[in-house]
Amino acid sequence: MSARTGWSLGARGRETGTALLFLLPLFVLVVGLIFYPFYRAIWLSLTDKLVGYPERFVGLRNYEYLAQDDAFQQVIWNSVVFTVVSVALKVVTGLAMALVLNNLIRARNFLRGLFLLPWITSTVIIALTWRWMFDSFPGRGFLNSFLLDLGLLSQPIAFMATPAGAMAAVVIANWWRAFPFFGVSFLAGMVSIPRELYEAAAVDGAGASRRFWHITLPGLKHVIIVTTLLSFILTINDFNIIYVMTRGGPGTATQVFATYSYQVAFGQLRWGRGVTISIFVVPILVVGIILISRYLLRDRR
Amino acid sequence: MSQRHVSRRTVLAGALGATAALSVPRMGFPAVKKGTALRMWILKTYVEPTNKAIEASAQRWAQKHGASVTVEYFTFEDMQTKYVAAIESKSTPDVGQLETGAPARFAGMGQLLDLSSFSKEIDSQAGKAPANVAPVTMLDGKVYSIPWYVMGAFWYVWRDVLDKAKVKMPSTFAEAKEVAQAVTRPKDNFYGMGQSWNRTADGYGVMQSLMYSYGVGWADKSGKYKSIKTKEMQAVMKWATDIYKDNLQPADTLTWTGSGNNENFIAKNVAQTSNGPSITFAMENAVAKATDAKDKKMKEEALANAVALPHLGGPDGRRMQAIAMSMGVFKGSKDPEAAMSLIAHLVSPEETVMVMKDSYGQFAPVLEKAKAASKDYFNKNENYRTFGRAAEWFAPTGWPGPVTAAAAEVQASNVLTDAPAKVIVDKWSVDQAIEWEDKKIKEIYDTLKG
Repeated sequence: MSARTGWSLGARGRETGTALLFLLPLFVLVVGLIFYPFYRAIWLSLTDKLVGYPERFVGLRNYEYLAQDDAFQQVIWNSVVFTVVSVALKVVTGLAMALVLNNLIRARNFLRGLFLLPWITSTVIIALTWRWMFDSFPGRGFLNSFLLDLGLLSQPIAFMATPAGAMAAVVIANWWRAFPFFGVSFLAGMVSIPRELYEAAAVDGAGASRRFWHITLPGLKHVIIVTTLLSFILTINDFNIIYVMTRGGPGTATQVFATYSYQVAFGQLRWGRGVTISIFVVPILVVGIILISRYLLRDRR
Repeated sequence: MSQRHVSRRTVLAGALGATAALSVPRMGFPAVKKGTALRMWILKTYVEPTNKAIEASAQRWAQKHGASVTVEYFTFEDMQTKYVAAIESKSTPDVGQLETGAPARFAGMGQLLDLSSFSKEIDSQAGKAPANVAPVTMLDGKVYSIPWYVMGAFWYVWRDVLDKAKVKMPSTFAEAKEVAQAVTRPKDNFYGMGQSWNRTADGYGVMQSLMYSYGVGWADKSGKYKSIKTKEMQAVMKWATDIYKDNLQPADTLTWTGSGNNENFIAKNVAQTSNGPSITFAMENAVAKATDAKDKKMKEEALANAVALPHLGGPDGRRMQAIAMSMGVFKGSKDPEAAMSLIAHLVSPEETVMVMKDSYGQFAPVLEKAKAASKDYFNKNENYRTFGRAAEWFAPTGWPGPVTAAAAEVQASNVLTDAPAKVIVDKWSVDQAIEWEDKKIKEIYDTLKG
C-alpha cells in the first residue's frame, strides 16, 4: 500500500515537473512581454525621467502635474468624445450591416469579404484618404468638389478648420475603419441564433421589430459586449488616424491620450510625464474590463 | 654612465610613447583605420538630389580611406523620435546631422563628444561660422558639433499679383498684412496670405521669427527665462491672429500640415507664404518636366513670378529662425577618429560646394571658405541671391540667449503655436493667451533646473 502511494507521489511529482517545464515558455513570455513592461511603465510614471538622463523617483508629482494641466483636461474630454461617439456609431452601423447581410441569400460571403476591406487596410492609408475627402483645397477634396460640382456650394467648406469639424472628421475615419469588424462579428452571432426561435415568434405574431428586440439583441448580447470592449480599448488608444489627419489640431481640439503622450515623451523628451499620460487610461480600462468580465461570468453561472 | 643603465621598462615606455605620438592624428587629418565601418544619420529633405549628394560625398570618403559608411535617413517628422529611441536603446550612430536645438539637448545628456579641439582644426581648414550661427553648436563654452549649413525660411510672394494690385513687395510683417488686405479676393477663393500656426517648422519657425523681429524672446542673453508678458508680445499675437480674424487666409489654413503652404502657394491660392527653397525646387522641377513648349513657357513664367524675399522683419529688426545643420559625433561611436575624419571631409569647402550645387538653394554653407566658394552659385538669380544670405538673418531658438534644452523644449511643446490657436479657435483674448503661454514657458524652465 505504502509502496503504491510512494510510486503515485513520484509519478505526480514528475507530472508536475513536466507541466511546469511546459508552462515555463509561457511564463517567460507573460513576464517579459506583459508584467515587466507594465511594471516599468508604472515605475517611469513615478520618476522625472528625461530622455538621456537617469530617472529620479518623484512620487506622484507627474500625476499631480497632469491633474492641474489644462491641456490634459482637454485631452481627457477629447478622448472620451472621440471614443464614445466612434464606438456608438460602430455598434449601430455594425448591427445594421449584420442585419442586412443576414437576410441576404446571395453574395453574402462576397459582401462580407468586401466589407472587411477597410478593416484590413493600413490605418495610415485610411487616414490620408479621409483627409483627402475632407480637404478644402480647390479642385482636390472629394466632398467639396462633389458639392461644388452639384452647385450646392459656391465656396469650399473647410471641414477640419473648426474643433467640431475636426473631431467629426477623425470620428468618421475611425468609425469607417472599424464598423465592418462589428458587422462581421454580429453576423457570426446572428447565424448562431436558432431559426426555430424566430419561427416560433412569428407564429405567435411577433413582428420584425419585436423579433429583433426580443430574440436578436439578447442573442447577440455577449458578442456586442466583447466587440464593444475590444473596440473601446483600441479606440481610446488610437494614434494613427488623429496624428495623420489633424496632429491633434486645430489648436488642441483633437489632441487625445496617445498623441499627447507622444508629444510629451518624444517632443519634449519627458518620458516620465509621457508615460503617466498613458497610465491614466489604465484605470478606466481596468474598471471596464472587470465590470464586463463579472457580467459575463454571472450570466454564464 | 647613467645613460647606459636604461631599464627594459624605460625602453618599452619610450617605444609606446613613440608609437602613440606617431598615431596621433595630424592637424586636420584624423586617423582612419582601414576597414572602419561607420553609421551616419542625415536629414531626408524634400529635395532628393541634396540627400543623394550627401550620401555620395560620404561614400567618396569611404572609398578614399578603405572604410565603409552606412547612411541612414531621418525626416523632419521622425527626427526627434529616431534620436530619442537611439539614445535610450544605446544605438546612436557614429555621426549624426543635428538640427538647431539638437547639439545643446544631446550634449546636455552627455551623448555628444566634445569637439572643441577638432573644431579649431576645422576653423583653420574651412574657416569659421558666423557669430550668430556658431553658438548653436556649443554648450557651456564647449563645441559639440561642426556647423555646416543653414536651411533658411523666406517670404514667397507672387510678383504678378502684387504688381496687378499696385502694392510694393513687403519687407516687414506689418507690410505683408497690408499686401494681404490689398490682394485678397474671397469670392475667387484667392487669399493674401497662407500662414499656418501648425505643429511644423512652418508654424513654430515663423512664430519665432515674428517674435524675435518684434524683440520678444522668452529667455535673456544668458539663456534664463524672461517673461513675455509685454506690449511687444501683444503686437506679435495681434498680428498672428488678425490675419485669421480679417479673413486674409483660406479657412483651412490652421489645418495645413508641412506641405499645405507649398501646395497652396504653387497652386496660386495664396499670394504670400513663408517657406524654404523647396518651393523653388518644385517649380524648377516642373519646368524641367514640361510636356511641350507652351507648357514650359507657362511654368517658366510662374517660376520667374514666384519671388523669395528675405524673411519679414519687425520693429526690432529682421531675425529668421531656421534650421542650422551641424555634424556631431556620438560618444557611443567605436571609432571617433574616423567619425571626425568623415566630418572634416564633408564640411571641406570642395565637398560642401558639391553638395550645395544639388540643393536648389536650400543649402547655404556657413563656414567661411565654403561660403566664399558658393558666391557664383548663389548669384544665379534674385531668389538664389536671397537664399545665399540665409545665415545673415539667422536667429537661434531661445534668442537672444544661446540654444538651451529648455529653449528647445519650448519649441517642441507647441506652446508657441497653440497660443494663437487658442485665440483663433477657442476665442480666448490675446492677453489670456499670452498669460497661458508665459506660464507654460516658465514651467518648462523651472522644471529643467534640477
